[in-house]
Amino acid sequence: MPIRNKIGEMVENVRLLERSCGQRKPSVGTLYLSATHTIFVENNPETRKETWVPHSMVSGVERLPPSPTGSQLILRCKDFRVILVLIPQERDCVDIHASLARLSRPEKYSELYCLSFNPNVNKEQREESWAFVDLAADYRRMGVPNNLWVTTAANSEYRVCDTYPSELFVPKSATPAVIVGSSRFRSRGRFPVLSYFHQDTLAAVCRCSQPLSGFSGRCQEDEMMLQAVMKSNPGSDYIYVVDTRPKLNAMANRAAGKGYENEDHYTNIKLQFIGIENIHVMRSSQQKIVDVGEMRSPSMTDFLFGLENSGWLKHIKAILDAGVFIARAVADEGISVLVHCSDGWDRTAQACSVASLLLDPYYRTIRGLMVLIERDWVSFGHKFSHRYAHLDGDPKEVSPVLDQFLECAWQLSEQFPCAFEFNERFLIAVHSHIYSCQYGTFLGNCEKERRDLRLREHSHSVWPQLWKERSQFTNPLYQTDLSPSQGVLRPNTSPYCFKLWKGLYNHTEKSMPPRQSPADFLSTVREESKQLEEELTNQQERLTALTGKPITWEKVAVPRRRRRTDCQKHGGPDPPATTHGRLISGPDGQTDRKAPRKDPALTLPLRDTDDFSACSDLESGVADLSSRSSSGGDDNKEAELE
Amino acid sequence: MVSKRLNPRNLPALRYGAQVKMYQVNQVPLLPGETIQTTVKDVMYVCPFSGLVNGTLTITDYKLYFSSVEKESPFILDINMGVISRLESISVPNQGENTKGLELVCKDMRSPRFAYKTEESQVDVVEVISRHAFPLSHNLPLFAFLYKDQFPVDGWKVYDPTAEYRRQGLPNESWTISKINSTYELCDTYPSVLVIPTNITDEDIRRVAVFRAKHRIPVLSWIHPESQATIVRCSQPLVGPSDRRCKEDERLLQIIMDANAQSHKLTIFDARQSSVAVTNKAKDGGYESESFYPNVELNFLDIPNIHVMRESLRKMKEVVYPTINEAHWHSAIDQTHWLEYIRLLLAGAAKIADKLESGKTSVVVHCSDGWDRTSQLTSLAMLMLDSYYRTLRGFQVLVEKEWISFGHKFSARVGHGDENHANSERSPLFVQFIDCVWQMTRQFPAAFEFNELFLITVLDHLYSCLFGTFLYNSEQERVVHEVQTKTISLWSYINSQLEEFTNPFYVDYENHVLYPLVSSRHLELWTSFYARWNPRMRPQVPVHQTLKELLFLRAELQRRVEELQRETTSHSLSSGSEHSPTHPTGTALHTTV
Repeated sequence: MPIRNKIGEMVENVRLLERSCGQRKPSVGTLYLSATHTIFVENNPETRKETWVPHSMVSGVERLPPSPTGSQLILRCKDFRVILVLIPQERDCVDIHASLARLSRPEKYSELYCLSFNPNVNKEQREESWAFVDLAADYRRMGVPNNLWVTTAANSEYRVCDTYPSELFVPKSATPAVIVGSSRFRSRGRFPVLSYFHQDTLAAVCRCSQPLSGFSGRCQEDEMMLQAVMKSNPGSDYIYVVDTRPKLNAMANRAAGKGYENEDHYTNIKLQFIGIENIHVMRSSQQKIVDVGEMRSPSMTDFLFGLENSGWLKHIKAILDAGVFIARAVADEGISVLVHCSDGWDRTAQACSVASLLLDPYYRTIRGLMVLIERDWVSFGHKFSHRYAHLDGDPKEVSPVLDQFLECAWQLSEQFPCAFEFNERFLIAVHSHIYSCQYGTFLGNCEKERRDLRLREHSHSVWPQLWKERSQFTNPLYQTDLSPSQGVLRPNTSPYCFKLWKGLYNHTEKSMPPRQSPADFLSTVREESKQLEEELTNQQERLTALTGKPITWEKVAVPRRRRRTDCQKHGGPDPPATTHGRLISGPDGQTDRKAPRKDPALTLPLRDTDDFSACSDLESGVADLSSRSSSGGDDNKEAELE
Repeated sequence: MVSKRLNPRNLPALRYGAQVKMYQVNQVPLLPGETIQTTVKDVMYVCPFSGLVNGTLTITDYKLYFSSVEKESPFILDINMGVISRLESISVPNQGENTKGLELVCKDMRSPRFAYKTEESQVDVVEVISRHAFPLSHNLPLFAFLYKDQFPVDGWKVYDPTAEYRRQGLPNESWTISKINSTYELCDTYPSVLVIPTNITDEDIRRVAVFRAKHRIPVLSWIHPESQATIVRCSQPLVGPSDRRCKEDERLLQIIMDANAQSHKLTIFDARQSSVAVTNKAKDGGYESESFYPNVELNFLDIPNIHVMRESLRKMKEVVYPTINEAHWHSAIDQTHWLEYIRLLLAGAAKIADKLESGKTSVVVHCSDGWDRTSQLTSLAMLMLDSYYRTLRGFQVLVEKEWISFGHKFSARVGHGDENHANSERSPLFVQFIDCVWQMTRQFPAAFEFNELFLITVLDHLYSCLFGTFLYNSEQERVVHEVQTKTISLWSYINSQLEEFTNPFYVDYENHVLYPLVSSRHLELWTSFYARWNPRMRPQVPVHQTLKELLFLRAELQRRVEELQRETTSHSLSSGSEHSPTHPTGTALHTTV
């Protein structure tokens, strides 16, 4: 990127003492302050390495007392990088500090980077960029609308709920009167709507905010609304209401005229508290884990205690547990779940999106994760601008809610290394764009606000850009062919399964030489295999041209082991009665899928039957990695290969 | 954990996780030379994970074999006798008066429990197990001497000290291969082949031997191919409270320093804590005084002794077996201090390696006797410095050399065949070393030819007494007991099926020195070894299989392309090919080390 829009400030002979990633020796160069970035350009004529930091990424600027060699300035970034520069003249340092303090705390949207960022695209391309993620298509993919779930016009022009999207899916039996009545009885008018529809079991994940019940309040329409949610899942006679808060917090809310559903008033609901802490607890917990990541040569005790005392992994576990509960209810029991917290835009978004990730392999692809974030977070009014401090505002509103979702995805990808199309880099890239304000995708607090800001006319969407770079975001272990059948992920959520996400939180040691990366190696192997395949085709064509005879090869078959029940015994410490370690409900004798299979033709519109049969084929076709036999392979032969 | 099935290549799957084809339940697979001692019916295995399992227990001279047909898939538990540390009676509630309980406390982080009826068993189960778990305490031979299997390769040929020193470029003008200890007269715990400086008389060497604990004189372990800096190992000097000196010892260290023209210094790494080294002076031991040894720099590496390590691993077992401490996982791991000690060892070894590589300076490594921490440090440093030791064969040489031949007291530290479980000589020093190696393989996944299964298999047979490799305390003892002729080497078994133990990522990083990161954030608990008995710890997806498939796919595609190319060329010879495609024949996993 050329250095343009340079404004006023420029200081020469600045020493970059430490950049969390990169070389360790201090380099001398020039520091520029543009309208949008802090830029450091190395003097070394050979490299002239540039370091760009968008002002929106700066979470804090700190000036240390001057020393004889100059004044130190510390830039702390929202992606946890720390940049330390030494400025020869104290005056310059004071100026830079003052400018940065102002630039990194914009007060109006119009000051944000995305509104001046102008990638080289025309108007049509910009509009296309916004159409890249199509939520309506995703709902169609999951099979709605159908005769159970329909669109409602109730929220057009954001009349009923200004933080919800205008396009919503509700139970077919919910009349406009019920919707409006229910919304009056819910915090911020966020009434129960569909988040995810599970085609196999016809159970749904729905979301809303807490009811305004106080100690004894009730609302007939709201009760009818929950009844409607239940009725939209034929064959089930109750629904789960998941309150993601700790029960104590939920009870305390009753004193303020809010609270949770009274099981005496609502028939056929089962209430479940999960105990995810609130945004304030999460904010301070993340600070602690960042400190652990930044510790310089901590002792083993410092590190392990720091990790445990931060509570961070415990919070991640709570969120994952919420997702697991929902996924199990939907996939195994075939019971619909209504999820809420207080306002239904933080913990609810976390729980719903983790559940989708567990339930549907599509969301484990690069494009699928984009769709998921766009749906459960962007469209449903997660308050991006407040949570990620895009504008100068109340620091108590700031909290790493989406960070935690991304970390759940990362922790899952550590447990299921072949189940995700994207790698850690993709999650980190999404993380930094949430804060960077380079694109308009994550600006504003809800759909209405984005419309009022006319962001689609003035900024660009981040997704096509990330899609363009997808080759570096691809996990080489991803099993494309197996993925659709991988079905529901059943992670182990015992505390020892959670690790510190070094890639995100441990920048200080990134300055060390990079270690060997098997993933990169595999990417290359995959790439080479692809080239070889092309080469093979070329050669075949040449040969055909030469000989006039077409040649056909059978597809290369990789011999695979057959999974045996006894091979899990490892010499047999325990009877195979435990089903732990069986990640996926495979078709091979795993009977943990208790949900009654419903006949799709009876309940779904005809045009969906195609999708459905495809699904059931996949269900019955393939088992997990190890149990798959090679295409056209012969079992006896395979045994020899072991 | 050993299962005795023959795999399709007719090699026994003598390793953890081996595929076991189902036998008839009443048929117990036996190794050649193994005999059944007794069979006890109606035994209950008290599984810590899924409750009681009813079955039959067969006791042989090598193992306990429990099988059950109760569950839909047959259940088999196979525990070799060598792994048992002690037998303990336990109470079994609600099973009737005639039921006795037995806990087998094992050396490999588990303690399976059984319950059996006394009226039905004619024999005393505890008696039988005890005889074969602790044969040496009952005047019986270790099973390795009964085991009669055949392997296509002979593991005893893996290590030839002279060949290994020749590989290192020895002898040279400064160093000679000496026969001074050929009858173990100079030092009974040292190997017969030693490398010592050319410039010293046998007479002086004998004087040095008197001045070093257990006569373990400074000898060469490894020489840097370029700088000629050396790793020298020995035991502590017998300085004593009166600060005794030994002219010959001082001269020997001077000669060692002078043998390396690149540096005029010598660094001594004393593995102990300085306070302990000082205490040792009162017990007639001690450390080199920098004022008596000119240009010598003394460093203490602060590694605690064998008793501390034993206690640390004992605490670890409490954390991972039978149930995993879930509520306070990280602090529970911390309180064992196990990772802290792993860190000290890796950091110490890295210091030694760096001193040779960057400082081009020779080092002398010792602890007290020079057979525990010294072996750990020299072997880890050599692993960092010399890529040969990172191959399957080279690693075997490393273990044979720095551990087995230099008299790490395997018999005493593991307690092979001995019922005295409380013996304070026992300590998991070799386990700790293998853990350090594992930590390095995690940080450099392509630098080691062997895989995790190899490391686990080595540790399993450290205890099993199936092979002669780790038996006895010194080379001399092994010669006396004719280990090489009467037992089989572990490497015979391993080298007969190398593919199983090969890392698919391996790339030979010749001349690369690997410095592991020893920061606490980069060390992990080796759960796939320590917590492997817990079914919840099993990996969810077999990634290794995917890797192999990818590599297989590439190789297969490559083969076909080449085949087609040949065909095309033969067809187009007349037309003259303009096209000569070239392909990378394999991608090296990029690294910066």
